[in-house]
Amino acid sequence: FRYTRNLVDSGNGKFNLMILCWGEGHGSSIHDHTDSHCFMKILQGNLKETLFEWPEKKGNGEMTKKSERVLRENQCAYINDSIGLHRVENISHTETAVSLHLYSPPFDTCNTFDQRTGHKHKVTMTFYSQYGERTVC
Amino acid sequence: LPAGLSQWFPALEVLDVSGTGLTEMGAELLSLPCLHTLLAKNNRLGGPGSLPKGLGQAPLASSLRVLNLSGNRFADVPPVLLRLRGLRSLSLGGNRLHSIPPDIQELRSLEFLYLGGNFITSIPPELAKLPSLKYLVLCDNKIQSIPPQLAQLHSLRSLSLHNNLLTYLPREILNLVHLEELSLRGNPLVVRFVRDLTYNPPSLQELAGRTVKTRNVPYTPSDLPETLVRYLSLASNCPNPKCGGVYFDSCVRQIKFVDFCGKYRLPLMHYLCSPECSSPYSSASQSSTSQSESDSEDEASVAAHRMQKVLLG
Repeated sequence: FRYTRNLVDSGNGKFNLMILCWGEGHGSSIHDHTDSHCFMKILQGNLKETLFEWPEKKGNGEMTKKSERVLRENQCAYINDSIGLHRVENISHTETAVSLHLYSPPFDTCNTFDQRTGHKHKVTMTFYSQYGERTVC
Repeated sequence: LPAGLSQWFPALEVLDVSGTGLTEMGAELLSLPCLHTLLAKNNRLGGPGSLPKGLGQAPLASSLRVLNLSGNRFADVPPVLLRLRGLRSLSLGGNRLHSIPPDIQELRSLEFLYLGGNFITSIPPELAKLPSLKYLVLCDNKIQSIPPQLAQLHSLRSLSLHNNLLTYLPREILNLVHLEELSLRGNPLVVRFVRDLTYNPPSLQELAGRTVKTRNVPYTPSDLPETLVRYLSLASNCPNPKCGGVYFDSCVRQIKFVDFCGKYRLPLMHYLCSPECSSPYSSASQSSTSQSESDSEDEASVAAHRMQKVLLG
């Protein structure tokens, strides 16, 4: 009932290639990319990407939005921690969306941020499926 | 829809007429006995004739399982839609709804309800009477409060409330034991502890009622006028476990913050019997901030067991 992360290829340990499936209204939290490169391509539908500044050290206020854009089918985007943080959402209430993500080097934990306060929390990311097989956990 | 539809395709099970500019769907639908999925999103439906009149009596009423009317122009839910007793999945996302009809409770088989992207301002408590509802989407609306009765949705797995006008949640939300996902971002949730929002002093009737209940004063229906017997039966118990108090109409509305999964502090609205009755840990003279800290710890352990994944984002 939320967007799914489906691993396609783990590139001999050098990268993770995955497909994300977004239902209507599904969105991610604000997150960082654990010092890795992140490429994203829209395969179907549209996704809104909102960029945020890193919160101050002792963040205790609303996080600052840097910019936002809607990525259309076949468009690509890139982000890494030096660029900032982002939230990705399918804002459509009628269409699903599918995106292809490449992370190098691969990572399975990142920080999520509370937009109201800037507080961060480390989370472990999980896969809905890997190489076509449902991951049970 | 073409008039010969049911003659050409009598065994039709899935019909997708999305993005065709349809303004109405008529009797052609009614004689499709095998139809279980109807997708009609991104059309111009919403006016009279959007759904056929005889829908409630047609075989479709019990056989239709999935109905997607998202991206249309519905300003209200057509009453005839509520006759679809077999409906499991309903989407009215991206329409122009300002409210949810209480009769939504008639869709007894509903498991999935998508109402995101409308102009809904409030949720009728009757929505909580849907026994099989697993997935409820109310994001991108104008909802200001959640009725506590929503905690009766025992089957609810996923609740989407992001981008609304919520400042707090009813504490009963902790009772949704199967809830795995909750999205709350983009709501003006109260961040600071707000103490004693309102307190209307109790009437003499209320004070007398409280005494009867807390002291277990015996009475029978022949002792009192019927209105008072009914009044006494409406007593609510103060949620503070260390207080045996009851209240009728007069209560303190107080915001308490609860930590979910050790991550986020959510403001929950508590109804307490009096301003003095605040927490198991507090004494009357404690400051508000320390009170909220200790309350949160106490509730956090309860909440942590109950909710698994909170997507505040």
